[in-house]
Amino acid sequence: MAIGRKIGVFICHCGGNISDYVDVKAVAEAVANEPGVVVSKNHMFTCSDAAQQEMIDDIQGLELDGLVIASCSPKLHMFTFRDMAERGGINKYQYVHVNLREQCSWAHTNDKTGATEKGIALVRAGIAKASLSVPLTALRVDTIPKVLVIGAGISGLRGALALSDMGLSVFIAEKEKDAGGTVKNWGRMAPDDQHGSEIVKNLLDEVKRRDNIMLYTDAEMIAKSGYIGDFKVTLRVGEHDSVELQVGAMLIATGFDSYEPQQGEFGYGLDGVVTLPQFRDFADQQDGELTYNGKPVKNVAFVYCVGSRQKKTEACPEPNQYCSRYCCNAGTHMAVCLEDRPGDLNQYHLYRDIRTYGHNETIYEEARTRGAVFMRYQDTEAPTVADTADGLVVTVKDQLMGGEEVEIQADLVVLITGMVPKKNETLMNLLKLPVSKDGFLNELHIKLRPVETVIDGVFLAGSAQSPKTMAESVGASLAAVSKAGGLLMKGFVDLEPLIARVDTDKCLWCDECLKACPYGAIEKIHHGEKEVAFVVKSLCKGEGACVPICPHDALDVEGYTDQQITAMIDACSKEVVPA
Amino acid sequence: MSDKNDMDYDVMVVGAGTAGMEASLSLGDMGYNVLLVEKDPSIGGRTILLSKVFPTLDCASCISTPKMAQSLHHPNITLMTYSEVDAVTKNADGTFHVNMHKKPTYVDQTTCTGCGQCESVCTVPIPDEYNYNMIARRAAHIPFPQAIPKKAVISRSAQPPCTHTCPAGVKPSGFVSLVRAGKYEEGFKLHLADAPLVGSLSRACYAPCEGECTRDEMEGSVNIRAIKRFMVDWYYDRHPEPDYGPVETQLDSKVAIIGSGPGGLTAAFHLAKQGHQVTVYEAEPQAGGMLRHGMPAYRMPKSLLDRDIKNITALGVEIKTNTTVESISSLKEAGYDAVFVGVGNQNPRIIPITGNDLTDMTDCMNFLRETNVGEELPDIEDKDFVVLGGGNVALDVARAAVRMGTKSVSIVCLEEQDKMPALDFEVREALEEGITIYAGVSTKRIFKDESGKSKLEVLKVDKIDFDENGRMTGFSTAEGTEQQIDADVVVMAVGLSPSTIPFEDELALNGNKTIPVNAQTLQTADPMVFAGGDAVLGPSIIVEAMGQGRKAAFYIDRMLKGESLEVGFETELEMADKDEIVSCSSKCSTVAPTALRELEPHKRIQSFEAYEETMTESEARDSANRCLGCGDCSQCRECVNVCPGDCINFDMSPDNLEMTVGSVIISTGYEILDPAGKELMGYGKYPNVISGPQMDRLLAPTRPYNGVLRPSDGKEPESIAIVLCNGSRDHTVCNPLCCRIGCMYSAKHAQLVMGALPMADVTIYYIDFRAFGKGYDEFYEQSKGMGVEYTKGKVARIDEIEGGNLKLHYEDMEGEGGLKEAEHDMVVLTVGFLPNLESLKIFKGSELEADEFAYIKEPDATSEPGRTNIEGLFAAGTVIGARDIPDTVLHACASSAQAAGYVQKMRKA
Repeated sequence: MAIGRKIGVFICHCGGNISDYVDVKAVAEAVANEPGVVVSKNHMFTCSDAAQQEMIDDIQGLELDGLVIASCSPKLHMFTFRDMAERGGINKYQYVHVNLREQCSWAHTNDKTGATEKGIALVRAGIAKASLSVPLTALRVDTIPKVLVIGAGISGLRGALALSDMGLSVFIAEKEKDAGGTVKNWGRMAPDDQHGSEIVKNLLDEVKRRDNIMLYTDAEMIAKSGYIGDFKVTLRVGEHDSVELQVGAMLIATGFDSYEPQQGEFGYGLDGVVTLPQFRDFADQQDGELTYNGKPVKNVAFVYCVGSRQKKTEACPEPNQYCSRYCCNAGTHMAVCLEDRPGDLNQYHLYRDIRTYGHNETIYEEARTRGAVFMRYQDTEAPTVADTADGLVVTVKDQLMGGEEVEIQADLVVLITGMVPKKNETLMNLLKLPVSKDGFLNELHIKLRPVETVIDGVFLAGSAQSPKTMAESVGASLAAVSKAGGLLMKGFVDLEPLIARVDTDKCLWCDECLKACPYGAIEKIHHGEKEVAFVVKSLCKGEGACVPICPHDALDVEGYTDQQITAMIDACSKEVVPA
Repeated sequence: MSDKNDMDYDVMVVGAGTAGMEASLSLGDMGYNVLLVEKDPSIGGRTILLSKVFPTLDCASCISTPKMAQSLHHPNITLMTYSEVDAVTKNADGTFHVNMHKKPTYVDQTTCTGCGQCESVCTVPIPDEYNYNMIARRAAHIPFPQAIPKKAVISRSAQPPCTHTCPAGVKPSGFVSLVRAGKYEEGFKLHLADAPLVGSLSRACYAPCEGECTRDEMEGSVNIRAIKRFMVDWYYDRHPEPDYGPVETQLDSKVAIIGSGPGGLTAAFHLAKQGHQVTVYEAEPQAGGMLRHGMPAYRMPKSLLDRDIKNITALGVEIKTNTTVESISSLKEAGYDAVFVGVGNQNPRIIPITGNDLTDMTDCMNFLRETNVGEELPDIEDKDFVVLGGGNVALDVARAAVRMGTKSVSIVCLEEQDKMPALDFEVREALEEGITIYAGVSTKRIFKDESGKSKLEVLKVDKIDFDENGRMTGFSTAEGTEQQIDADVVVMAVGLSPSTIPFEDELALNGNKTIPVNAQTLQTADPMVFAGGDAVLGPSIIVEAMGQGRKAAFYIDRMLKGESLEVGFETELEMADKDEIVSCSSKCSTVAPTALRELEPHKRIQSFEAYEETMTESEARDSANRCLGCGDCSQCRECVNVCPGDCINFDMSPDNLEMTVGSVIISTGYEILDPAGKELMGYGKYPNVISGPQMDRLLAPTRPYNGVLRPSDGKEPESIAIVLCNGSRDHTVCNPLCCRIGCMYSAKHAQLVMGALPMADVTIYYIDFRAFGKGYDEFYEQSKGMGVEYTKGKVARIDEIEGGNLKLHYEDMEGEGGLKEAEHDMVVLTVGFLPNLESLKIFKGSELEADEFAYIKEPDATSEPGRTNIEGLFAAGTVIGARDIPDTVLHACASSAQAAGYVQKMRKA
C-alpha cells in the first residue's frame, strides 16, 4: 500500500515526558522498516526550532511525501508541525500526528514495556495513515468584518469599544432590559475604588457615540448558522421583533451568576443573613453609618468561601470545588469600605485562606490594620449561624487561636458567595460550547489559546470562562478582541479541508446523510442524469455523521477515509515483536 | 499628512518572554508589522526555563516552543535578539522615536549554524544564569537547547585588565585560560601570534599585567609571567625548532629593520607574516639588542633568546649581524620600500666626577656587554664594586657583579630607597644578595686613601627638584654629611640615551635624541620610514618596545599595500570594572598566589644560572585557575580556530539603530528576589537551602544534574521542606505584595518531586494557600491527595545541623499553636518577585509612571488594562505586577488589542 511513498517518522522524547515511560529509541527502530518509511528518528523536543529545522532538512533532502510525528497531544502542536511541514514544502495534510504522551506515556507510567509496545502500534497506525494521505487544499473564504458581542456587562461593552477602535463593526446583544451587567448598580469596587455604576455609564455613553456599534437590549440569540468568518445569527429583540445579523466572529461576554446559598447554609434564609451581592444592593445605596432595616449595624460577620472550594458531601452532592478568586479581594475591600464609614462598626472575617493575590495584598493589609478581625476556620469545622434571642450568633473555631471556639453576636452576617456559571440554556444549545469540570465555558488551552473555543470564530470574553475580577474580565475581553481581530482583519480565513466528500458514482440520493448532518452541509444536486448529495464545503465540519449512515458507502471524510482507518486498525493490530 | 513620520513598524514590543511573544503574535495575526526586541540571546523569557507548568503539568517547552517558533517565523514579526532599547520618545504626531542597539554577539548570526563547536572548546566557565548559577556554562554558548534563534553568542562584556594593559598586545587572559584548560600548545601559539619573543618575556618581562590583575586587589595577582614560563618551557621542550616556515604568499616588497632588539624583531615577525621580504640589520655580532647585551643571564638565558629568535627567522627573516647601517638613504638605494628604525637606547650617559681617573671606571653598557657576550667575564674578583645609579640597569650591573666574586657591591643613587626608579623586587632581591645601597646621596669625588685604596666620597642629598613630569631637574646636598665607600671599580649607570646619532639629519631628532614620529602610525617625517621602541620612547620596557614593533608593522604593511593609514590600530573594549568583579567574587574561596621556588640568595649569587624555578604543570594550572575571568571571554581564540563557518569576529561593535514606530508595548518581565537577603533563611550559607527557581531547574528536562540531588553531597533528599513567602508579603524586604504564583509553583514542585523521588516526604510551610486560578484549587487538593504535607506556619529561621540537614524554626498556626522545630534534609525557598526597574527606563525621562511598588502603573486597571499614562505606550504581562502564565497571556493579548486600536487611530489621522 505504501509503494513509492517516502515517509519520515520523528519520535519525540518530550524531555522525558515520553521517554521516561516509553523506550522512544526502540519505537523509532521498530518502525524504521515499515513500508514507505525512509527515515525514523528521535528528537529531544520535536517542537524546538532546531528539531523543526532538521525535519525540514529531511523533508527536502529525502523528498518526503508523508510525515509522522509522535509527540504530545495535537492540541498543543498540530499547528506547529503543520507550519513546519509547509515551510519544508510538503502538503501540511500529509503530516500525521501521533499522540504518544497523553495517549501512551502518561497513561502507562508503570509499564514501560507495555507502553513501548503500544507506542510502536500507535506509530505504525500513523504510518499507515500517512501512506494513504493525499495533498489537500484549504478552502479560503472571505470574512465578514463584523462581530457580535453577547452580553453588555463591562467586559462586553469594553470589548465592543476595542473592536470598534480597530475598525470592526459591532453588535451587542444583552439579554436584560438594561445594559451594564452585574455591577451596573455597584458602588466602590476593588481594587481601585472605582464605582461600578460610573464605569458602566461611561462605557455606555461611549458606545452610544460610536457609529459602528449597535446595542440591542432585551435581546437573545435564537438561531445561528454559518461558520467562522461568516456566521448568520438571528436575535429576538423585545417581545416581538427579531433581527438577522451576519458576523465574522462572536464574543461570549455573558458573565456569571452569583452563588445562591441553600436555605440554612450558614443560616441563609434567616433575617440578617445576606449574600455579598445582596449586601451591596442596600449598602452601596447608603452614605454614612450603615443601617439594616432602619437599625444601625454595629457588628458584621463575613463568612468567606460560601459556594466555593466545596467538598463532596451528602448535603452537597455537586460541589463547586473551585476557588472563585474574586471574593477574597471583594471581601477585604468591603472591610476597608466599612472602616471608611462613620460609626464604630466591628467586623469579623471568617476565612479559610485569604487569597488577596498580587497587589490586592495591600487591601487585606489595610483591612487588618484598620481593625477588621480575621479568623481562620477549617472547612471540616465550618462556622455555624444561629438565630437566638439576642439576635444572630456566629460560632467559629478560630485556628489562629489554637482552635478556640468563639461566639460572635452579629447584626448582619454577610456570606461571601462565589461565582457560578451563567445559566443560559438557549445560547448554549445554539453555540454548542463545551464546559470545563467546573461548569464554566472551556477554552482551547488555558495558556496557549485561552480565549478560543472549539467553535472556530467564537471567543470567550471574561468570567463566562472562569471566575475573574472586573479588571481580569475586561482583560480577557480585550484578549478575545485581539483574537477576533486576528481573524477578521486579514479579510479571509482558510477552512479545514478535512471534510466529507461524495462519491457521485456510488451515491443514489436517499437523503440519509442530509438527515444526519447537524450542520446543514448536505444539499441535493443534479449530477448528469441523477440526483446526488453535495457537500457545502464551508459548512461541513468533517464531523462524519454522514459516513456510516450512507447505505451505499458513497461518503468519506478527507484525512479519515475508511481506507485509512482500516489500514490504521490493521497496522495497530500487527504483533509487536519484543526486541 | 506631510508632517507625519513614516512608521518603520506599527508596533515595537520590548521583551520576548511569554507576554512579548503573545502580544507580537496577536498583532502579527491582525496584520500589523511588529518589531520584537529581546535583550537576551534567545527569546522565551523565564517560562522556557521552567520544568512543567501548573495546573496542567504541561512541560514548559510545550508551552513556550510553539510560540517561540511562531515568533521567529511569523511573516509580520521582525525579531531582534541580543538587542536593547536605549530610549523611546514620543513624536508630536503620536508615533514614537526609538533608539536601540544590537549588542555584538561576536558570532556572525547569519552564518552560524548553531553547531556548538565553539562552546565545546571554549575555555571560559561562567555561572550559568539559565540554571540559576547552579552550574557553569561557557563564554561561547547557545543559551539552552531550545533557544531561538539557535545561534552561538560569546559573552564578552569588557577587556580583561591584564590584556588591556599589555603594551605588546599579548592576551594574558587568553593563554592563562588555555593553560587552565591544559591547552599549553594553544596557549603558546596564541601568544606567538601577537608577540614572538615568548621565552624572553617569560623570564624578563616586568609583567605590567600582574600589576593590573584584579586578583591583586584580593589575595595577590595571578602569577601570569610564571604561568607563561611554564607554558613556554613546555612548548620549547617539545619543539626545539618552529613548526612553520615562511608564509605561502610572498610579496615583492622589501623592508629593512635597523636594530634586532625586541621592537625590531617583533616588527620583522609581523611583516614577514604578511609576506614582506624582511632584513634586519644588527651592528653587534649577535641579535637580540638589550635582551642579549643588557640582561644578565640569570634573568635572560641566552639559549632561550636564541630559540625565540628562531620564531622570527623561521618566517624567512634575514638578520645581518655585524652590519652597521650608516644612513637611511643607503637602505633606500639598496631597494628597500620601507624602513623601521628600532635602534634602541644604548648610549650611556656619563657624568663628570672629580678624581674619576683614580679608580677603574667604566659605563654600564660596556660592563654589561662584556658580562653578557664577552669572551671572558670582567675581572672584578675580590674588588670593592660600586654602581652609580638607581634604575633597573644599575641593579642589573650590581647583581651581575655580585655573581663575579666581588668583595663588596654598592649601589649609590640620588633617590631615597623607596623612590628608586628600579622595580621594588629588584631592590629587594639585591639587598638579599648582600648588595649595599647608599640611597639619597650624591658623588662628591673619588680619591685614594693613605693605603692607596680607591674610595668614593658621597654627600647626603637634602633636596631634589622635579619638573611637572616628575623628572629630576636638580638637587642640593648637605655639607658635612660626607661618607666614604670603598670603590676599586666604579660603573656608571645613570641613564641611557637613544642610539640614533647616525640618523640625526635624516630623521630630524628631538632634543633628547629620540625620533619624532606620528603617535598613531609611528611614521617619521619620511613617509617610508617608521620608528619605534626606545629610540622613540626613551628608556622603556621590553613589552613597550615590542608593542611599537607590532604597531609599526601594521602600518608599514598597510602602506606597502597602498592602504590608508587613517585607520585605528586595534579596537578594544573598555577595561573591566575591577571593583565590580571583586565585589562579585567576594564568595570565591581565598587562594593565595602560588609561591615561586627560588634559590636562596647565598646560593644564587654563586653563578649566572636562573634562580627562579619553572612551575610544575599542576602549579601552573592551579595558578591559572585563580584567574577571575574578568570581562568573561578571555580571547583565547579557541572558538576562532574551531568554527567551521569562520563566524567568530571579535571586531564586532554595537550596531546603533533609530526608527519610528506607531506604538510601543513594554513586556520586560520581572526580577526574582535574591533570597540571600533573607539572612535567617540560610540561602547562600547552607548548601542544601535552594531557591524555588533552582528547584524548577532541578526538575526540568534539561536539568543540570539529571535528578533532584541535594547540593552538599549529591544525595537524593528524603525529606524536603518548601517554605513559602520568602520576600513576599514581607515588609523586611520592602515587598508587601503577594507574588501570586509561589503557592502554586510550590504545589507543582511538591507533585513533581513526589514523581521524581517517590520515597521523599514533602512539607509545604505556608501562610495562606493561594490557589485561585482556573483549576488551581483542584490542583492543590490533588497534591494533598498525593501526600504532600501542608503546615500553616511562618518559618522564622533555618539552621544547619549535622550532615548538612536543616532545622526549621516555625510558628505552628494550626493545631495547638506555638513555636516548633522540624528537621529536613533539603529546603526550597519559594521566593518573591520584584519589578524590573529597567522597564521604567525604556521611555526617556521619568514621564512613564510607576505604582508605589515600582511596577509600571495602569492608571485605570479596571477598564483599561495594559494602558500606561503615556498614550500609545502599553505594558504587557508581569511589568505591571507578577502573575502566572495564563494571566500574563491574557494581559498581553489585551495590550495588543489596545495597541492595535491606537495604531488604527494613527493610520486614520
